[in-house]
Amino acid sequence: MWSDNSRAHLLGAFLGTLAGLVLLLSGIQFYTDIKLVLSDNQDLLDPEYIVVNKKINIGQTLGFSGSGFSPEEITALRQQPFADKLAPFISNAFPIQAFTESDKVPNFSTELFFEAIPDEYIDIKSDEWQWDPEEGIIPIIIPQDFLNLYNFGFAQSQGLPQIPKGVVSVLNFRIRLNGSSGNYQDLPGRIVGFSNRIHSILVPQDFLTWANDTYGYFEKVDPSRVILVSKDPTDPAIIKYIEDNGYDTIREKLKGSRLNIILKFIISFLVLIAGIIILLAFLVFFLSLQLMISRSSQKIKRLHKLGFHYREISRPYIFLLLILMIAVTSIALLITGLFTRQMAAMAEQWNMAISSSLHGIIFGTALALITLISLSNVIAILISTKKLCK
Amino acid sequence: MTIRLEYLIPLPLLDQQRGESEVWETSRLNFEPGLSYLVEAASGRGKTSLLSIIYGLRKDYKGKVFIDESDISTLGEKEWSVLRKTRLSFIFQGLELFDELTAMENIRLKNSITRHKSEKEIQEMAGRLDIDDFLQRKTGILSFGQQQRVAIIRAMCQPFDYLLADECFSHMDHKNGKLAYDLISEECKAQDAGLILSSLNSSEEITSSKKLIL
Repeated sequence: MWSDNSRAHLLGAFLGTLAGLVLLLSGIQFYTDIKLVLSDNQDLLDPEYIVVNKKINIGQTLGFSGSGFSPEEITALRQQPFADKLAPFISNAFPIQAFTESDKVPNFSTELFFEAIPDEYIDIKSDEWQWDPEEGIIPIIIPQDFLNLYNFGFAQSQGLPQIPKGVVSVLNFRIRLNGSSGNYQDLPGRIVGFSNRIHSILVPQDFLTWANDTYGYFEKVDPSRVILVSKDPTDPAIIKYIEDNGYDTIREKLKGSRLNIILKFIISFLVLIAGIIILLAFLVFFLSLQLMISRSSQKIKRLHKLGFHYREISRPYIFLLLILMIAVTSIALLITGLFTRQMAAMAEQWNMAISSSLHGIIFGTALALITLISLSNVIAILISTKKLCK
Repeated sequence: MTIRLEYLIPLPLLDQQRGESEVWETSRLNFEPGLSYLVEAASGRGKTSLLSIIYGLRKDYKGKVFIDESDISTLGEKEWSVLRKTRLSFIFQGLELFDELTAMENIRLKNSITRHKSEKEIQEMAGRLDIDDFLQRKTGILSFGQQQRVAIIRAMCQPFDYLLADECFSHMDHKNGKLAYDLISEECKAQDAGLILSSLNSSEEITSSKKLIL
């Protein structure tokens, strides 16, 4: 049964299959790890709040198309699997100004805008965030960025004093709500918080709703922004949906998804390579065995003449194949296991937790592959010996 | 076992000029159980073909062959395997020995699956045929006559109802030929088996019930 060449062939096939298997199994192992790590992180972090707006295009500038989300678009967005919750930004439907009246500081006034979203989306929880028509104080939340911009940008360059957070909330100013027929109402305003999440000037939703009902006279416009909550902001479907529909958002928040895509790509590539290696190794196994059989064709025919059935004659070849297959699988699993343990130890140093034992899917894949390769080779062996015994 | 031939003729012989043959194309030819037959003919007349056809190795023939009333053309691989291990033994003209195995290993190849003879009995047979000194030698280096004797002993190492022997004494001298023939006859008698022997010519040591001219 043996000849010098066939031993070398089989050794080559063995090593090739081993390498391919290890590569494939490691790839699957790490892919599973990474998936777990990424999804684990999501549970640890807060779900991500994503603000989506429409990209401003020239049509909007020229007034042809609206820059807001139509009711249909909002419904469609709500139905996306990555959107757990969603709310549109409400904005003021009448002119607003803010001004100061004080004898101590120079007065200023400015046009202003307000936006509102449901309380659950706001990252500031404060007792003062309430609209009490009796009291009449408008609580306002401004972005932390505004304060930073002033303190570290404007104030520095203008030689103006920097304002700590505590002072800002004490600042007195008034808000003028203007109706359509020249009527107006002044209300005191107070800054009650600085948001790291929402880049807008926020007021409580019930206040703005009341104010719009009372003074609003602008044409109804679609909301220009929506805020949505997603458990897995790394889901590449989010970026895709946003880009496909011409929306926009702050990419920082979705950085994870790019990572996800890249990782998936790298590992898919690895798995592809591994698959090719295994295919080639299978071919070498197949050819080596067929070669051994055809080299021994005379002996096989002789055995057949003596009364041996072709199945009996195939036995040593099948036995050899199965032994090699079992060996290659065991060694591959062992090596992959060692790799995994190494990687887990290294990952711990980087504060990542990946499994130090093989995932179940590894054994499943290895078993499936080996069964496939063995079965096809067994059938091939039986067919060749049967042919010789005709 | 009864072997029956009906109008049997190997295809390659169809066009040959033959005289009257006692075997080919006869309407009915029976090989009775337990009897020995000598098939004698010159080269090329189909001695090996006859035996090969009965043994199921050659399928290019016209006519029918029945083994115990089963048409052998209907037999499958499994059935042939069983037949050849337990009911039909063959001594090939080409011997079909494995050169790289020793004589003993060659014999054991058959014996290990049939467990018909003990090691001692094999030694005895080898002794009778004068080749016991060569049992541990690779058959490739033995003389053809010695190899023939190995093939004969191997054929004895199984149960059979019929032994087919194709010119198996061709390379033996008178003395060895007689020894071999006696061995075969004894085994056939012990198993109540029949024997079909093919030979180029008659030799005195072969005494069989019936002679057939191809």
